[in-house]
Amino acid sequence: MEGLGLLFNGFVQCFTMPNLVACFVGALVGTLVGVLPGLGPTATMALMLPFTLSFGATTGLIMMTGVWYGAMYGGSTTSILVNIPGEAASVVTCLDGYQMCKKGRAGAALALVAVGSFIAGTIGILGLQFFAPLLGNAALAFGPSEFLCFMIFAFVLLSNLSAEAPLKGGVMIAFGLFLSTIGINPMDSYPRFTFGSETLMLGIDFLPIAMGLFGVSEILNIAIEKYVKPEVNKIRLKDLYPNREEIRRSVYPTLRGSVLGFFVGLLPGPCTVISTFVSYSLEKRISKTPGEFGHGAVEGVVAPESANNSAVMGSMIPLLTLGIPFAAPSAIMLAGLRMHNVEPGPMLFMNYPEIFWTFIAAMYLGNFMLLVLNLPLVGAFARIAVIRPQILMPIISLTCLVGVYSVRNSLFDVWVMIAAGVVGYFLRKWKYPIAPFIIGVVLGPTTENSLRQTLMMFNGDLSLIVNHPVSLTLLVLSAAFLIYKFMAPLFGNKFALKVEGDDVL
Amino acid sequence: MERAGRFRLEICFVFFLLALGFIIIFVSLGYGFGSLSRPGPGLYPGLIGAAISIFSFFILVSELRSRTAKAVLDKAGAKTLIFMTATFCLWIVAMPFLGYVVVTLLATYAFCKIMKLEGWRKPLAVSGGTALFLYLLFDYWMYIDLPRGIFG
Repeated sequence: MEGLGLLFNGFVQCFTMPNLVACFVGALVGTLVGVLPGLGPTATMALMLPFTLSFGATTGLIMMTGVWYGAMYGGSTTSILVNIPGEAASVVTCLDGYQMCKKGRAGAALALVAVGSFIAGTIGILGLQFFAPLLGNAALAFGPSEFLCFMIFAFVLLSNLSAEAPLKGGVMIAFGLFLSTIGINPMDSYPRFTFGSETLMLGIDFLPIAMGLFGVSEILNIAIEKYVKPEVNKIRLKDLYPNREEIRRSVYPTLRGSVLGFFVGLLPGPCTVISTFVSYSLEKRISKTPGEFGHGAVEGVVAPESANNSAVMGSMIPLLTLGIPFAAPSAIMLAGLRMHNVEPGPMLFMNYPEIFWTFIAAMYLGNFMLLVLNLPLVGAFARIAVIRPQILMPIISLTCLVGVYSVRNSLFDVWVMIAAGVVGYFLRKWKYPIAPFIIGVVLGPTTENSLRQTLMMFNGDLSLIVNHPVSLTLLVLSAAFLIYKFMAPLFGNKFALKVEGDDVL
Repeated sequence: MERAGRFRLEICFVFFLLALGFIIIFVSLGYGFGSLSRPGPGLYPGLIGAAISIFSFFILVSELRSRTAKAVLDKAGAKTLIFMTATFCLWIVAMPFLGYVVVTLLATYAFCKIMKLEGWRKPLAVSGGTALFLYLLFDYWMYIDLPRGIFG
């Protein structure tokens, strides 16, 4: 009952003009980002960070989450109509979505995906609403050793799931952790790697790095790539009605995708992308007509799209309850919250319950807004996909430049952003994953604090970790995963989990 | 020729990482590792330096053995990258003197032309629109005071 009261209070807080506008703007920008091939939700969230600073923490969080799940909605539009995924989590949708379009069922596919995403989003929010406070309370008992082991567990999974070569994922995490050590160490006020520079004493700010690595590098990538104008199939409102058979066939895949996506969202790595692959494989495996997959099976469209929406909500749980982001967009959110002096984690529910419950209420509202936006305006969104990058990218470039400068009035930050952008461009090309790097930067200080506190608490004797069952379990899981990774090739990679695609950040 | 270009740059990057790992360890030693029960400020970065060295060593070995290298950039791509980066840099250098509105107008026009937006009307419209949008966004809606330079 207390939860319902808090949720009601959250709705009251949510229905303020700034929060409603933030929710709408986030959902709209997210949908546009999802529709436009190129800039993904992570890049957009990074680019929007400076603007969220003008509002409160809750409003900023609402806007950024709106972008993330709005992109999940919008990504399906171009996948189905143009066969071009708007972002990485919609790659799988192309397989059957475009085939449905070729059969003249694009409208039905879009309608089912919009409704499926709405249902999945609602299930995800319900899961977040019930599990997050429970886990948050449980996490109050966690000490430094538990947090350290959570971090190790996240790093092991991240480096393996985010990159084709786990070594590249590993080196990126380590590089990110190193960058976070630059500046005065708050534990003993000792300046490290500053080499006498006063600018470096404060450390390297997260925002220009994130904007450079995700935003500027993507702008450079789009500018350099040859542009091919996509052909968009026209869609009218009356085309959006699915037939009875299509509705019947999409009910259970939507529900399965929603539940599966939510739990995949709890794992470290590009959860939204993984959830679509896992959900598609599951549907194909249990289908009575697996031969239809790849030729316009409605299950192959609705299940992955439902999964990626609820995965967004699932991935909020580790962020809000432990303060540990398991994916790049949640790392950006963590950075945004920290800029507002709000530290997510177990204490969030005690210190800032209004943030959590307003956020939950805004998610319900945003999910509804997205449904209303996406169904009637699907034709308009599809036409946006043909806006040329020659017009869009210069606007975004300049917004980045002015945006990053405006945060601290610092030209040094702009230099850092440009340098990060150029380095990021080459890192993408050489298949070095950027998400582990950025998560390393964000989690660096927490990892160091946890490590040093654990060592001092155990008086240097790390064998005492056996007295901490949660820590021990996480270490065993990490070791088991590494052993599995080494053993998988011996079994012909039959069970190997592989995520493909250039933009699996 | 293409293969050699990509090969050299990526290998250079891994060498840089390897060297960085060793430098971090070396500098961290100066900060002091302390003991396990009382860790010093150098212990954590020292561990990170070791991790970077180990990972990059194995990446280097695998890159040296790799035979499937492909060019990252062709000549036209390299030109675009250089011009885009140069425009970004010029914006930073010129902004304090000319003010953000004027520099934004010029930089947007330059970006449009680098990305081969044909004619002069469209680039001018895009750059004018962008400068106006950013002026309204930062000055009127967000009340952020940004440099106006000699035109301020």
